[in-house]
Amino acid sequence: MLQFLLKRLIGLIFVVLCVTFITFILGYLAPGDPIKTLLGSHFDPITYAQLRHQYGLDLPWYQQYYNFLVGLFHFDFGYSFHYQGRAVLDILSSGLPISLELGVWGLFLTILIGIPIGIFAALRANTWVDTATMGASLVLYALPTFVLAVFVQVLIVSIDGGTGVNWPVAGWGNNWQYTWSDIQFKLAPILVYAAISFAYFARLSRTTMLEVLRQDYVRTARAKGLRERVVIYKHAFRNAMIPLVTVFGLFLGLLVIGVFFIERIFNIPGIGATAIQAISDRDYPVIQATAVLGAVAVVLGNLISDLLYTVVDPRIKAE
Amino acid sequence: MDTKDTNTDLNSPGAVVPDAAPSPMQTELAIEGGEEVPILGGQEKEQKKSPTPFQDSLRRLRRDKRAMVSLGIMIFFILLPIFGPLIYTHIGGTVVSPTSGTISPAAYHSPFHVELDSQDQGPSAQYWLGTDAVGRDLFARLMQGLLISISVALAVEVVDVLLGITIGVLAGFYGGWIDQLLARFTDIMFAFPGLLFAILLTGIFGYQADTIFSKIPIIGANGNARLILVSLALAMTTWPLMARYVRGQTLQLKEQQFVEAARTSGTSNTQIISRHIVPNLFSIVIIAATLNISGTIIGEAGLSFLGLGVQPPGSSLGLMINDALDLTQTHPWEVLLPSIVLTIIVLALSFLGDGLRDAFDPRSKD
Repeated sequence: MLQFLLKRLIGLIFVVLCVTFITFILGYLAPGDPIKTLLGSHFDPITYAQLRHQYGLDLPWYQQYYNFLVGLFHFDFGYSFHYQGRAVLDILSSGLPISLELGVWGLFLTILIGIPIGIFAALRANTWVDTATMGASLVLYALPTFVLAVFVQVLIVSIDGGTGVNWPVAGWGNNWQYTWSDIQFKLAPILVYAAISFAYFARLSRTTMLEVLRQDYVRTARAKGLRERVVIYKHAFRNAMIPLVTVFGLFLGLLVIGVFFIERIFNIPGIGATAIQAISDRDYPVIQATAVLGAVAVVLGNLISDLLYTVVDPRIKAE
Repeated sequence: MDTKDTNTDLNSPGAVVPDAAPSPMQTELAIEGGEEVPILGGQEKEQKKSPTPFQDSLRRLRRDKRAMVSLGIMIFFILLPIFGPLIYTHIGGTVVSPTSGTISPAAYHSPFHVELDSQDQGPSAQYWLGTDAVGRDLFARLMQGLLISISVALAVEVVDVLLGITIGVLAGFYGGWIDQLLARFTDIMFAFPGLLFAILLTGIFGYQADTIFSKIPIIGANGNARLILVSLALAMTTWPLMARYVRGQTLQLKEQQFVEAARTSGTSNTQIISRHIVPNLFSIVIIAATLNISGTIIGEAGLSFLGLGVQPPGSSLGLMINDALDLTQTHPWEVLLPSIVLTIIVLALSFLGDGLRDAFDPRSKD
């Protein structure tokens, strides 16, 4: 098992290096001179050279990359090009907890709604319950997040108009607080955000569960007279989890992307929204930092999925 | 895959297509072909009538109602933006407008024509699907947006299929460093979610792409210049997955008897690849490409929605959604129209992809 984890860890470190390098080099090759833009009409050669030095832009690329990497380990993403003297982390810091909250809820719902729905459908395979839930999750999964969000928003607005309720469709409320008004803000974005991945998880867990239920060991368990609940939760469920754990990391990617769209549509001031603003400001360090954060989240997710893999699949320990 | 091939059937790619269930007769021939030669001659007539696995798959596809309806919808959405504008710009008479004087349908049915005195109108005889916030014809903009979706999907798919097959076959057939490279590359691509990479690339190089590519006639006009960058970004993120599929299939094909037979009879590697491997990749490539087109269309719409794709005054389904996002309370129709069209396209492609998979790869069905 140690060997398996070590091998995966080395793989992940390699991936992190590549991802940070891609992010760095794109920013390095970015067109235009950020310092000139920053100075604008106040341009003079001495300040220009000073600022270039201060931002580390006078160093050769490999040294800049090294600094970039070292900075990342200290959560130092450098300085903004657009707001003079402001650290990137400072710009992102207000949005970070919001996006994190969104992400945690998305993940939570994916697992806590997706998997039970799938198992529920698998146990009632080929009944109308199964057909209905799987049909719904097929549609949910196929839809892009921003289209689903638009539909939900139009629905809420028309309900608001019809009933006089003032259910909000923009904003976020207080971070990590769940009073009634906070819930009103957060419910729709979180549900829409998680919908795509829990729909996929529902479908996947149904398929794997059905497959496992056909296995000999399940038949054996039933034959020796175990209660159905024990058969399903002790024998079938754990085996059905294995394929789910492997795609878990992949789905973090989807969730990271979802942040940009959900935050734009529901006007949530998270880092996705900050990054979109940074793009129109051509504030490359902020864009880079967001991309790195997203990619690192996915890599961490893969690491967690590897760890979980050793838990659900004891065969790996044996190797 | 001609039935004439039956005599040299061990070499024929049509004989053992691992992906499509071969008809019982052909399986038998493939396995026992060597011994059964005398009988084979006698069965020649009957043999000609039995369908090739490819025809078999097509028949299965044709019987799949959901897939056929989806195919019909997709054909409609491909033909509409190509021929629709040609007709639409000739429908209706000249109109006197307070802002632009006397204008013909060629003007007011153009996706870019701003008509400030007819903002946010509902569907009418003059504007079939209404107008947007600056009085542009929504039907014309929808068709232009569809044209963009299709063009980007086509461009990305060409790169995706070419690169995917080339790298995938090389990696699967020869293994070695190219295989290692592909494996590492896909690892990175899995960690770097495709759209995140596209956001990064278009976010950083977007403005430069605007200035460089806008000089190209037609493609670069109407705010579409950045689409070249968008297509590039989307293609770069999709081909590793295609290559992975192709690699897996190539690994399987390599072990098949007909490849072994070809090798023993002295066929060169290049010939084995071009005559026996690549033709047998057809089904997996078409399935993967169909499902991928949906991802590409969503990707382009998503990037345009975030302001990273088509620039105003151009049109794209994503840009239309973005333009109308502030109007959900007053004019929900404007945001619903592109959203519904995108939904229909995405669902149709997903059903079509599933249908293709069921038809060409029956084993994948439960």
